Amino acid sequence: MTVKDNMLCSKSHEYVYEENGNYNIGLTDYAIEQLGDIVFVELPEVGTKYTKGEIFGTIESVKAASEIYMPIGGTVVEINEQLIEKPELLNEEPFEDMWLIKVSSEAYLEDSKDLLDYTTYKEEVE
Amino acid sequence: MARTFLYNDHVRLGAKMVDFAGWEMPVQYTSIIEEHNNVRNNAGLFDVSHMGEIFVTGSDALNFLQILVPQDISKVIDKKAKYCQFTTEKGGIVDDLFIYKLEDNNYLLIVNASRLEDDYNWLIKNKNSFDVEIKNKSNELSMVALQGPKASDILEEVGLNKEHQPHTMFITKTKLIGEDVYISRTGYTGEDGFEIIIRNEKVSDLWNTILEKGKKYNILPIGLGARDTLRLEAAMSLYGHELDENTSPVEATLTWSIDKDKTEDYIGKDIILNQIKNGAEKKLIAFKMTDRAIARNGYKIYLNNEEIGYVTSGCVAPSIGQNIGLGYIKTNKNLKINDTIQIMIRNKLYNAIITSKNFIEKHNRGN
Repeated sequence: MTVKDNMLCSKSHEYVYEENGNYNIGLTDYAIEQLGDIVFVELPEVGTKYTKGEIFGTIESVKAASEIYMPIGGTVVEINEQLIEKPELLNEEPFEDMWLIKVSSEAYLEDSKDLLDYTTYKEEVE
Repeated sequence: MARTFLYNDHVRLGAKMVDFAGWEMPVQYTSIIEEHNNVRNNAGLFDVSHMGEIFVTGSDALNFLQILVPQDISKVIDKKAKYCQFTTEKGGIVDDLFIYKLEDNNYLLIVNASRLEDDYNWLIKNKNSFDVEIKNKSNELSMVALQGPKASDILEEVGLNKEHQPHTMFITKTKLIGEDVYISRTGYTGEDGFEIIIRNEKVSDLWNTILEKGKKYNILPIGLGARDTLRLEAAMSLYGHELDENTSPVEATLTWSIDKDKTEDYIGKDIILNQIKNGAEKKLIAFKMTDRAIARNGYKIYLNNEEIGYVTSGCVAPSIGQNIGLGYIKTNKNLKINDTIQIMIRNKLYNAIITSKNFIEKHNRGN
């Protein structure tokens, strides 16, 4: 597995990386491993606008429900529809391919300042 | 945090450890869903050493137990297990437990880890002038549960032939791996299976022997995560969720376990008999989500935008692929099986349907 060079992570275990002008947001491999079997994902509607730190979705393992926070501000342009039907893909596929939402963002430069690069993030959580 | 004598075995098996009732316990080894399915299809081994073992002995042992539970212990024959509740003056539940009659004047009580101290204090408080000795041996004894359709085959492989295995809801004292053990045919999964009590120093040997001998039956070690989904599919109550001191056995729909014709007095008897006759204000129901959502402990239950109760347990049921739950509702709404209710989840109402408590077909009878 290769981690995207431009991937940044929040301390609440979301990642973000730029792709073709938009930003892919998902959950880190550490978060997925801690959650265990994922059985449910709730994602926002396309067009919804969030500021950094807002809750945009919910992820549920067998044991519990957890909220997911925006690592940057932005407007949802696409959601990963296949996860609604098959949330278990989050456990099976490489985590950077299983982004939850894509957003457009004007705030990335400002909002990403306190995010950690993947290596630093891994050192902090493990 | 306390550790069982299997702690090192759990770590070696790669378990993820969590705090449960002050004990550092394995929540899962590989995956809750995989472990769950393996107990339904093959077999699983659980560390339940955190549970409490209390021996009640003496010439008044029977009379003493009779005042504590709504069940008629005088009807319990030698080596038989009975599912019971310690009840309060108000009819609430101090704990639910199994009482085993080992022989006359000698009973073994298996209680919840989270309630052990309260249970022991409850026994001491009510001892009065009864000629009984109350011995909490939880610190000396460990317990493992071997559960699943292959449990009996595996126990035979470990050294106890099927003809010597206890029948469902019985206990036997025997030798296993050269050690004195108690083996009961009971469990918390809805499957056939056994619970084995052994002294602390030998539990690791027993654990590893069962896993080794069970290999050809595809046994797996099972964590508390799957223990919870298995018991919830079997609609079995968990203390602190479905049961507490503000809930009676009638409200918890445990009336089936109560001996209505018991002549002896017991704590809370008037209230409990009155509830059996005239009904209680709330009752435990089972439900399945019909909308895509998972109900969790503490979520509120609604009917026509009116709050009528609360969820006590909820999860995805791996065996049936549906989201299920248990909860309390007010009885004055006269709701029945197949009626629709709503669950408030993250400030939105989702539909669920009241179902029977038979989420799955159980296999823990008649073995």
